[in-house]
Amino acid sequence: MKSVITTVVGAADSASRFPSASDMESVQGSIQRAAARLEAAEKLASGYDAIAQRAVDAVYAQYPNGATGRQPRACATEGKEKCKRDFVHYLRLINYCLVTGGTGPLDELAINGQKEVYKALSIDAGTYVAGFSQMRNDGCAPRDMSPQALTAYNNLLDYVINSLG
Amino acid sequence: MLDAFSRKAVSADSSGAFIGGGELASLKSFISDGNKRLDAVNAITSNAACIVSDAVAGICCENTGLTAPNGGVYTNRKMAACLRDGEIVLRYVSYALLAGDASVLQDRCLNGLRETYAALGVPTGSASRAVAIMKAAAAALITNTNSQAKKMPVTQGDCASLSAEAGSYFDMVISAIS
Repeated sequence: MKSVITTVVGAADSASRFPSASDMESVQGSIQRAAARLEAAEKLASGYDAIAQRAVDAVYAQYPNGATGRQPRACATEGKEKCKRDFVHYLRLINYCLVTGGTGPLDELAINGQKEVYKALSIDAGTYVAGFSQMRNDGCAPRDMSPQALTAYNNLLDYVINSLG
Repeated sequence: MLDAFSRKAVSADSSGAFIGGGELASLKSFISDGNKRLDAVNAITSNAACIVSDAVAGICCENTGLTAPNGGVYTNRKMAACLRDGEIVLRYVSYALLAGDASVLQDRCLNGLRETYAALGVPTGSASRAVAIMKAAAAALITNTNSQAKKMPVTQGDCASLSAEAGSYFDMVISAIS
């Protein structure tokens, strides 16, 4: 799974050489920024439920009947639960990405094939974008986590939003 | 290939759980000991040629039959192959130590090594002994307690856990080939 360390080791291996001084510097740089990433991952692990709920509320405020208008009102409760389940799933993968320091988990476990799946299920990707945009503006630097941690978290939310565009 | 961080992601994903509190604690110690780890990898890579040639010379001294006709390293060609393999094993151990995870060593070096050595007629007892000598040399270099003049001018710290971690990777090599 792609991270700074596995990339460095893979490059060293394909040249069959021992880890060089510049490899060490790359790993050191990644380790220095890792503290902020882990802080964001820890805050996300304890607060994901509330974050996902606020995103669902934002989606249903914007699209009360689903973006395509196909969702009947009687299914609103079930739809909301599935919507929240999906947001929690993405947040869990963002948690993994924060820990590994790369986008590997999101790429491998969510983004590959997501457009095809949502198209087949007649779900407008715009509804997800609405939820993630709410999350993107939801985090607040000193209140929720440190500014550096929030930057790492928001970067990954932007990455997901762009993947849905 | 995984590292200490992605290993946590893979194991959390198998149960669909978030990575929180307890799992993050070990990663935080990985980060706080990051410089020690890089120094440990550096201790191995800077002395790689010395570690390998000492280990191969060591098995030849302990078992003089190896260099006799029909011995495991009789002919320079076999001796050169032995030195090359020692360096390859040490290189993958240094990768594993850098990543904090054995997957690169297991997947890219040890997988199928026993069968290869059996097919080539490599004496696995001697090969394991060479790896054991490399393990002892690496432990001395990582803890900076080697008797030779080539000590690293670093601040002395407690590198016992890193030395034990490197030792566990060497042990994996030994159990994979013997």
